[in-house]
Amino acid sequence: MSRLFDQMQRPSSLGTGAVEAEPLELVRLVHVAVEGRARLEVQGLYRCDRVRHKLESALRKHAAIREASANVLTGRVLIIFDPARDLEEIKTWLEQLLLDAGQEIIPENSVDDGRSLRSSGRPISPVISSDFNSVLPQKGENWHVLSSEIVLASLETSKELGLSQASAERKLGHFGVNSLPETLPRSGLSIFLGQFKSLPVALLGVSAVLSAATGGLVDAAVILGVVLINAGAGYVAESQSERTINALGHVAEQNAVVIRDAQLREVAAESLVPGDILVLTPGTRVAADSRVLESRNLMVDESMLTGESLPVAKMVNRLDKQNVSLADRLNMVYMGTVVTGGSGLAVVVSTGRYTEIGTIQSLVGETRPPETPMQRQLSILGNQMVLLSLSICGAMFLIGLVRGYGWLQMLKSSISLAVAAVPEGLPTVATTTLALGIRTMSRHKVLVRRLDAVETLGAVQVICLDKTGTLTLNRMSVLALHSGGRRITVDKDVFYDAGVRTDPYQNDELLRLIHAAVLCNEVELNGERGNYVLKGSATEGALVHLALAAGVSVDALRRCYPREQVEYRTETRNYMSTTHSVRGGGKLVAVKGNPVEVLEMCRWWLKDGARLPLTEAERTAILMENDRMAAEALRVLGFAYTEPKQTDQSSADELIWLGMTGMADPLRQGMKELIALFHQAGIDTVMITGDQSGTAYAIGKELGLSSGTELDILDSTRLDQLDAEVLAGLAQKVNIFSRVSPANKLQIVQALQRSGKVAAMTGDGINDGPALKAADIGVAMGDTGTEVARNVADVILEDDNLGTMIVAVSEGRTIYNNIRKSIHFLTATNLSEIMLMLGSIGTGLGTPLTTIQLLWINLITDIFPGLALAVEPPEPDVLQRPPRDPREPIVGPADFKRYGLESLTMSAGSMASYGYAMARYGGGPKASTVAFMTLTMGQLLHAYSCRSDHISIFSHETLRSNRYLDTAIGGTALLQWATVLVPGVRNLLGNTPIGPLDVAVIGAGSVLPFFLNEATKGATFKGKRGQDLLSLPPPSKEYG
Amino acid sequence: MMKQNFMFTSESVTDGHPDKLCDQVSDALVDRFLQQDPFSKVIAECAVSTGILFIAARFASSASIDIPEVARQVIRQIGYEQADFNARDCTVMTSLSELPSLPHPHIDEREMDEEELEAVTAKNQANVFGFACNQSAAFMPLPISLSHKLARRLTAARFQKQIPYLAPDGKTQVGVEYREGRPYRIHSITIVATQEKTAMRGVGPLRDDLNAHVIEPVFAAETLRPDSRTHIFINPEGLVADGGPSLHSGLTGRKNAVDTYGEYSRHSESALSGKDPSRIDRVGAYAARYAAKNVIAAGLAQACEVHLAYSIGISRPVSVQVDTFGTGSIPDTEITARILDQFDFRPAGIIRAFNLRYQPQLFRGVFYRRLAVYGQVGRMDIGLPWESTDKAALLR
Repeated sequence: MSRLFDQMQRPSSLGTGAVEAEPLELVRLVHVAVEGRARLEVQGLYRCDRVRHKLESALRKHAAIREASANVLTGRVLIIFDPARDLEEIKTWLEQLLLDAGQEIIPENSVDDGRSLRSSGRPISPVISSDFNSVLPQKGENWHVLSSEIVLASLETSKELGLSQASAERKLGHFGVNSLPETLPRSGLSIFLGQFKSLPVALLGVSAVLSAATGGLVDAAVILGVVLINAGAGYVAESQSERTINALGHVAEQNAVVIRDAQLREVAAESLVPGDILVLTPGTRVAADSRVLESRNLMVDESMLTGESLPVAKMVNRLDKQNVSLADRLNMVYMGTVVTGGSGLAVVVSTGRYTEIGTIQSLVGETRPPETPMQRQLSILGNQMVLLSLSICGAMFLIGLVRGYGWLQMLKSSISLAVAAVPEGLPTVATTTLALGIRTMSRHKVLVRRLDAVETLGAVQVICLDKTGTLTLNRMSVLALHSGGRRITVDKDVFYDAGVRTDPYQNDELLRLIHAAVLCNEVELNGERGNYVLKGSATEGALVHLALAAGVSVDALRRCYPREQVEYRTETRNYMSTTHSVRGGGKLVAVKGNPVEVLEMCRWWLKDGARLPLTEAERTAILMENDRMAAEALRVLGFAYTEPKQTDQSSADELIWLGMTGMADPLRQGMKELIALFHQAGIDTVMITGDQSGTAYAIGKELGLSSGTELDILDSTRLDQLDAEVLAGLAQKVNIFSRVSPANKLQIVQALQRSGKVAAMTGDGINDGPALKAADIGVAMGDTGTEVARNVADVILEDDNLGTMIVAVSEGRTIYNNIRKSIHFLTATNLSEIMLMLGSIGTGLGTPLTTIQLLWINLITDIFPGLALAVEPPEPDVLQRPPRDPREPIVGPADFKRYGLESLTMSAGSMASYGYAMARYGGGPKASTVAFMTLTMGQLLHAYSCRSDHISIFSHETLRSNRYLDTAIGGTALLQWATVLVPGVRNLLGNTPIGPLDVAVIGAGSVLPFFLNEATKGATFKGKRGQDLLSLPPPSKEYG
Repeated sequence: MMKQNFMFTSESVTDGHPDKLCDQVSDALVDRFLQQDPFSKVIAECAVSTGILFIAARFASSASIDIPEVARQVIRQIGYEQADFNARDCTVMTSLSELPSLPHPHIDEREMDEEELEAVTAKNQANVFGFACNQSAAFMPLPISLSHKLARRLTAARFQKQIPYLAPDGKTQVGVEYREGRPYRIHSITIVATQEKTAMRGVGPLRDDLNAHVIEPVFAAETLRPDSRTHIFINPEGLVADGGPSLHSGLTGRKNAVDTYGEYSRHSESALSGKDPSRIDRVGAYAARYAAKNVIAAGLAQACEVHLAYSIGISRPVSVQVDTFGTGSIPDTEITARILDQFDFRPAGIIRAFNLRYQPQLFRGVFYRRLAVYGQVGRMDIGLPWESTDKAALLR
């Protein structure tokens, strides 16, 4: 009583005794380990946006504070400050600020419903209002420990009358709309501007300005054109994918039935306020977090929130313990969950972003996604190329000056060479390739939400799979029965006894078992015969489905034995029993529940239609069968019945054991093959399930998760208690995480990442959000997935078919390879231009290429083959190779060496031609033309060489042809010859006509390097290939 | 010749000791596999450290078992309810691999004829030892026998709430002084008891409680009791809070001396727990003890060690050695001849004699697990077939 009194006095201090015991501080230092960085807990900030706003703006004005961010979910502020300043000083200043601002904040707070009050009811400062009437217990977690009367009183509402319309409207003003904040799509402008944020583009801009300043307006225009084409292509690609994403379906408008002014009303879910009385009926989606007031067998599917696939029974009584997990708060219902059975009333306690879902969604907004490998590498590569070309151009400029060329001419040449050398096509090629990949994948019903996720897909080393819904159908069905000492299996609605098809009507005890399963069952059967709609729990639905499969007329049977009485299972009694009246007098009692408990009550059993006493041996046999079924991934229920004499009251003693049913959530088709495909592609698979380990093992074995080696299962309900390093070490080995809650998925994914793996994670529930976001590739289901999951995922499988993941992986790898090919081509050709220029100027042969020729190469001959290489078809062995090492750069030192050698052969060929032309014609346009033609033709041929780094024209293996590349090279070659054959174009580029001998020299200068490069290809790769294992006998497992 | 005057200390540990916890989990798995499928082949090893239990099991069995659940049951029954380590929260990492099952159907050893018994050979080179002596009613050396009694009593005092603040982990040691080869007096007693962190007592109260509820009841029925010079060490290194896996880690098969004769005689290096009956290094040790104990019961010697050497591909031991340390009333070779006459040391014969495949069923799934703590030999509480002295008359 005294405790209750205490609660009445200080409702907001409930369960926070520990806090009360300490002296309360306005500002508490939480984390100060890093110099110049501190985390502070601020009273009044928790769940109060206004305080946050005030704090942030005030903090930012403080001279010593560089950055400040306040979090309303944790009630903490992170500040980055001048390390020279004393933190205590800042703290005192902050406390003063809060005290001063108190006058200003209070009135807002009391209007704001006092939500800022986290834990204390004591009047300790002006910020914390002590006004009893306006103070509500705000800590969402506390509602379950209050009795429903106190909840109703503190929310100023009543169960019978509900809120009045007027007070509901007033409250709506205070509490805000009951909707979850949606993630804003990126604006078109920000996408467009994003395209300019790269160093190569900046350099091109500088080049353009310089060109313009030195009078090269045409050059400047061309450079700007290059930049704009780049940005345009990037913009088109990215905004298209953004559009695809935003086009994903939104949740439809939702209504809720509430009691207001003592009447039932249907209102928009957004207008719900704390204090509203929700009417819950089967099928209702709970529209706000509420405390249950009445429960008539209210069952709620909380899988969205807790991942538990079986519905939870709700009750009214208050809970004693404060620190129980969401799943165990049996007197609360939460926004987003669905009523699956029974009915009830509940009073809304939190709305909108203050609901549990809202909190999770805000948490999602705070987990930072890791930068993908390509992002890092492309920017590094781009910067390297810029530095390289800048220094080379600078060197060339100086050499030119030393050699006595005019400085203006050298400046122009240098700038145009810089433009040619910077692989500004690189981002374009990458973006376009990725965007094209997105389009290809969407044809396979794979939606990619982020551009760079495409290439991360190719690097995925481990994929974490949700069992329920991803690997399984998320549908319960009976797979096995045990009756009369016989094991009967059910496959596709057909019954088998020891592999032989059997008819339940030929088996008395089996038929009786099915009858009892239908009678002791509350599933409603609607609709036509052959097209029934089952309404009720998944388990009971499975039993009715079983009866229908057996040919039992469920409706008729239930009419024959009308149900008189139901005794539900309770916490202490793990079974349910129903009493039915029998036509012609008499009664029938059917019992269903935990096999151990039901068996204990039985004295008889049925075998071959005869009633026999249950001996100890039979009991043991039944219990062992129960164990076995449980370990075979089945959920087991026991059944019994009796037909008591009217007078006999102690009927339970005479129960007759009928048998057991084992049901499971069946695997989707093709999963085993899919797992094998993942393994073949070098991708480890990890299954995450809430099942017991025995069940998990059975499924893991069936799926071949460990591909023949030992299966490692980590069974834990408290992964969060495990040392992070230990978990990271274990995670590398584990095939299955069993008995874990969806919240642990985040830890699993982080553990895998800590051990250096690129991890993909599937999920569809709301609480999967943080894990999906943290994963390198978050995979959400498009059809059954929740909005939260879809919004944070990198990849969405539109048809919920996991099989498309392997397509996505293949596509991702191909795209990565193709981008490598493009980079290969662009780097090698750009280097050859630099070498040719540098070589000629260095040896005093003058400038072989004019500015406009360089830009022509840059714009025409580089871009199109580069783009065409980016759409190469997959190499034949793309899914037989292990994923690439994410730490390996996209282009490594060995690659650069190889590219350098290739460009050397190309520039040598061009130099030779140039030398020949110089010798024959002297310096001038004629020689330039020959050099220009040799170089470009050599480059075009080189595009073919870039198609594979290990398959050459001399290899046995052949590549699938790439139509785009053939077209691009053919077209570009035609254009190229047009520059010498078509007079108009010829004049523009300053070319001259050429003779047959020149053509022969050009041919030799371009083809010879090609053959040389092809012949030397793959030499460096041979070591890795063809190392087949000698055929050894299979290793023994018996040792030890 | 046996030494005449010496001091000997043996130790035992309670069921909550991490090494023993691992042994019990391993043997509980053997029990469960055999209970469902008596022809299961299983090798189960276990390791435990703070909050994590590792189980590596290789098996060929038609049984299906929720392995972590079995482990949790063991932890629960031992009584670990600490925040750092308890049945509900501890993480269980299982590494499971299935052995190829035998191609032909199993023959029940109980129904084998002579030829079939002969055909089941040892699959390993193995030395196994059995020992017995007339120092205690169970024909066990006195130090280990007393240590086990103390350890059992320590656990019972916790369960019976006589010392309610005890934690499951504990260790006992008894040093016995021998004169002319016979136990002469109790030299020392050591008890390391752990306490629940939430209800710690000081050294004084702990010593009083252990004296009153453990040491005194144990020695009340003994002929040899602590005297005024007996050293009694209670937690010599200080009080221990919680103990168990949150303090020190454990491993299957690290308490071989506790399982056997407390180092008083030789014992095999290979562990007994976590192996199914087809493993000769386990069941051979039982057979050797059976023979040795019957030799003592027959009054042929005061102490007797039986050494069996098995070799791959041969069913009978390639060598049977009996050593009575000079206490025999007839020559050791004669004893050897007599036991070879009376005992079947072939692997299948041992399984048949002790009904090893069906014991888990007879004991409702808890047979090997009980062996895993307080000794695999010298047990008078279970009615172990290898503790029976039914062959004594035949040896005389």
